[in-house]
Amino acid sequence: MGTTVEMRGDGLRSALWRPLNGFSRAYLLALAVAFLVGAWGLSCWGYQIVRGIGVAGIRRPTMWGFYLVNFVFWIGISHAGTLISAILRLTDAGWRKPVTRAAEAITVFALIIGAAFPIIHLGRPLLFFWLLPYPNSRLLWPNFRSPLMWDVTAISTYLTGSVIYLYLPMIPDLAELAQHATGWRLRLYRLLSLGWTGSDRQWHSLERAMKMMAGTILAVAVSVHTVVAWDFAMAVAPMWHSTIYGPYFVAGAIFSGIAALVVAMSVIRKVLHLENYLQPVHFENLGKLLLLMSLLWVYFTVNEHLTAWYGNSPAEMGVFGERVRGRFAPYFWFMVFCNFVLPFVLLSIRRLRSVATITIAGFAVLIGMWIERFLIILPTLSRPHLPAAAGFYTPTWVEISITASTFAAMVMFYLIFCKLFPIIAVWEYKHVSHG
Amino acid sequence: MEHRWGMAIDLDRCTGCEACVAACHAENNLPLSDPDQAEKGRAFHWIRVDRYYEGEFPDVRVKYMPVLCQHCEEAPCEPVCPVYATYHNPEGLNVQVYNRCVGTRYCGNNCPYSVRFFNWFEPEWPAPLELQHNPDVAVRPGGVMEKCTFCIQRIQRVKRDAKAESRPVADGEVQPACVQSCPAEAMTFGDLNDPESKVSRLAASGRATRLLEDLGAKPKVFYLQRAK
Amino acid sequence: MFLTAEFSDAPSVGAAIGALKACGFDAAQMDVFSTEPVELPEGLLERPSHMSLAAVVGAASLGVLAILFVRYTQYDYPLITGGMPLFSWWATGVIFYEFTMFGAIFTTFATFLVESGLLERHHAIPAPVLLAGRIHVRVCCDAGRAVTAMECLQRTGAVNVVES
Repeated sequence: MGTTVEMRGDGLRSALWRPLNGFSRAYLLALAVAFLVGAWGLSCWGYQIVRGIGVAGIRRPTMWGFYLVNFVFWIGISHAGTLISAILRLTDAGWRKPVTRAAEAITVFALIIGAAFPIIHLGRPLLFFWLLPYPNSRLLWPNFRSPLMWDVTAISTYLTGSVIYLYLPMIPDLAELAQHATGWRLRLYRLLSLGWTGSDRQWHSLERAMKMMAGTILAVAVSVHTVVAWDFAMAVAPMWHSTIYGPYFVAGAIFSGIAALVVAMSVIRKVLHLENYLQPVHFENLGKLLLLMSLLWVYFTVNEHLTAWYGNSPAEMGVFGERVRGRFAPYFWFMVFCNFVLPFVLLSIRRLRSVATITIAGFAVLIGMWIERFLIILPTLSRPHLPAAAGFYTPTWVEISITASTFAAMVMFYLIFCKLFPIIAVWEYKHVSHG
Repeated sequence: MEHRWGMAIDLDRCTGCEACVAACHAENNLPLSDPDQAEKGRAFHWIRVDRYYEGEFPDVRVKYMPVLCQHCEEAPCEPVCPVYATYHNPEGLNVQVYNRCVGTRYCGNNCPYSVRFFNWFEPEWPAPLELQHNPDVAVRPGGVMEKCTFCIQRIQRVKRDAKAESRPVADGEVQPACVQSCPAEAMTFGDLNDPESKVSRLAASGRATRLLEDLGAKPKVFYLQRAK
Repeated sequence: MFLTAEFSDAPSVGAAIGALKACGFDAAQMDVFSTEPVELPEGLLERPSHMSLAAVVGAASLGVLAILFVRYTQYDYPLITGGMPLFSWWATGVIFYEFTMFGAIFTTFATFLVESGLLERHHAIPAPVLLAGRIHVRVCCDAGRAVTAMECLQRTGAVNVVES
């Protein structure tokens, strides 16, 4: 391909730089499949823009469907990086080092995908820019009281912060790579490394910046998913108007984020042959965190449902009944299995904990958390305050295609990222002794 | 003094004939609603008649309740629109500005009365129905939310005429299509700021209730029914 | 002129810097180049930074700007929604918070770019090539002090001292 990274130096560098060279057949196949599915999703979106949002299954009263589910889901996944990176950085947990860049990359890509959905679900998507404050001929500013505007500011801030937070620790690696690369890679790395020389002034500045960013990103991440939760909590709809939503969503986001990280790391470890660097101890620790978040998730879920059931308010009981005993019951109990039963069994019994089972638990949590977002949105909308207006939602092929294509897009972004940059931060890995 | 438009619907007079529904369709250029669309939940009825059945056969009582936009004083649908497509005008109407709507549908989800309807596609009228359009009312594009406007075009016309004739608007002069068409004269429309208007007196009567009052949206449609 | 010396571990670098400071060289004249941060004793090589202050100032100013802007827009075209007041801290507090955070993020990154010297177009002094496992110490001194500096460096275990 006319560009290589020269293998030099120690085992760490050669292990992490080897994937940057060449394209294996498996890689090309995976990239092609991901691209095709992603392109299919994009064309479905194009069809939807031309034909009208009616090609989706949404209807009255369920005016939000799969697209909002995906929005909340992907914004939730985006908490992988920041929480792992920022929290573990702030608590100085050394074992996080090999994991941070992978996590931060998940954050950025999940945010980009998630932030597309508020545009995808609009009735007039080409006018999405009306949510931005700029002097216009309508003589109108956006309504900042709307939780959707809070979303816009929160997600923009979070995306900017996450990109910077991903980029900052990459600079030293990029500078080192530039010295060993040829062709377009050389130009790319040199451009992105901004002339980093590795002087102690720069290191001090970088470390100081990263410490500040860790704290700020943490503050932003908590607020972002709270704001997304408030899209629902601020509405008067039965079982949405609940004070638990802010913390519930943040906990759920961290939960699904860790699960996504576990799955991504497992794949990276296998495919890039990084068994020496992504060791069972890392999975053990992430597995324990996943178990902790699973218990926290159960705690919140019990809180939400017990209070609704005990309070016996008619409107809420309508929704509760649909979720737990009615039309949505199969999904509800499957979700409980995926989010709690299976992870609890696999992660709390030491004999059962292994890289493979932790990955299975993570995968189950991803499925369970997608269903959870679905169950937050649809039952409430199906059973509004006035019973005469009840109605049920069926997704169409358009929505299913676009949903599937987001996963393909994530895989594709990740594949491209892993081909361009080392997935483990080389300078950070060496900086601390294993532990 | 500004007007504050409100409505009173006498549930003891309502026969459930749905003349109001038909009149609204005709007056406001509503898109077609056929059984196929209704099954998919895409039917449009700015005013609809909900039926509630009480009791067991043979002592069944049916209550007919025409539900339309309640033009709430503290409407939950208004603050959630990011582009001010719906706001409260000085005359107490919950106004829907079609041009501003980008179709986030948050307002539709937040209306506890489920009175908001969304144009999922560009509306179409098979010939010759497009000739029946009311020229005073906008035809909405696809991707835009709509709902009952208390026939704002009729309010505007009456106000214009009254101003041209240098007189105040008389009570009962403004009649939205549904009010005008009700054969049982169950619906009354008027200015709640005028204590002498028929609607104000009905609203103050012992039979007046409001729908979902405990939600605190302060709806302006008063349902009259005899107390049990 | 510049003297660049190569070392193999952090303690010898620390010793070298200590020796250079004892010989009267200033921390500002010294630079340490490495592929990863070098652990030096606390206070040996102080690099003052304004990042914290800049971040706080940036955050506060963007926060205040956001408040003023939102207030202006809500009075500029006053539309009542849901009975809420035209300007309300509760209804828009989140936006102020996010803008404050954005200010912090932006100023932190900008300060980093400035303080690290990454934006300087002219790298007048070429830096040594980064090698894994090697740490370079570069001293800026005038010709007269070069011998002293050279002696300090070699005493503490420098290899390959290069003049430029």
